Amino acid sequence: MNKDENALWSIFGYLLSGLLVWGGIGYFVDRWLGYDRVFTLVGLLLGMGSALYLVWLRFGRHSG
Amino acid sequence: MRLIHAATGEGFNPPSAKDFELPPFIEGVDWATKPILLAFLSVIFISVFFIAASRKAAVVPSKLQFAGEGVYNFVREGLGREIIGHDFLKFVPYLFTLFTFILVNNFFGIIPFLQFPTMSRVSFPYVLAAITFFIFHYVGIKKQGIVKYLREIMFMPGVPKPVYILLTPIEIATYFLVRPLTLSLRLFANMFAGHLLLLVFFLGGEHLLNGVLGLKLVSPFAFVIGIGLTFFEFMVQVLQAYIFTLLTALYIAGALADEH
Repeated sequence: MNKDENALWSIFGYLLSGLLVWGGIGYFVDRWLGYDRVFTLVGLLLGMGSALYLVWLRFGRHSG
Repeated sequence: MRLIHAATGEGFNPPSAKDFELPPFIEGVDWATKPILLAFLSVIFISVFFIAASRKAAVVPSKLQFAGEGVYNFVREGLGREIIGHDFLKFVPYLFTLFTFILVNNFFGIIPFLQFPTMSRVSFPYVLAAITFFIFHYVGIKKQGIVKYLREIMFMPGVPKPVYILLTPIEIATYFLVRPLTLSLRLFANMFAGHLLLLVFFLGGEHLLNGVLGLKLVSPFAFVIGIGLTFFEFMVQVLQAYIFTLLTALYIAGALADEH
């Protein structure tokens, strides 16, 4: 129960910060270069992907 | 004030965030507000309750002792031993204080005459989350040393080096921003929304009661739903106190663990 519960909350945290960090960076790149939402989208996808990778690294690779 | 509004038959002004900004009850003393008073009250209440519960500790416990020990055991065994494991004992006082403090302050949301959840003012959850934040980082740094602790957070082993550019910002944001922020905002938002919901149904019901005959007839439904929601709120209040304490325990356990 300990492990699962821990994983649940950590995964939520990672996904959220992945989106926030890389989505945020993308947003500012957009503002800086004058694009409209292109880099925000790229950032969000990148953040989501990295966060999922991180989740796999932390919780997936040992139990797989 | 709302009573007067409804009674004079003016338009219904729905409850809003303004209903949470209570004026100080002592003229000119800014900090003397209801939430502060409630926080003090909760401390007094918790102290009195647990002192009374543990005073005449007997092998065959009284009802009061049983209740007090029940709460204590729940935090100690369910959250302390279960989550933190080895070395859990020194964190039990904090976990226990945190749980009871949040629980009682949440209950104030539905206790008649008090009827205001302290945690619906965001500063209270912020401070609690800040304490948790400092504790779990301090524990981690003390246990592993600052360099090793930060390295464990920032650099997941077994990843090609360029990938760290992607991962390290996420790890840092998770540990230093998202964790304390979600911890405090979850508690705040639940208490805020719950209180607002109750206000909507009870003030709305009251307004209907003061309306024309047709509206008077519907008002009982608003009150019945309001009472139902009060029971629902009770569950949310317990759950949020539990989750806050659970996450604190999880963060401490994570900081103590040698490898994530």
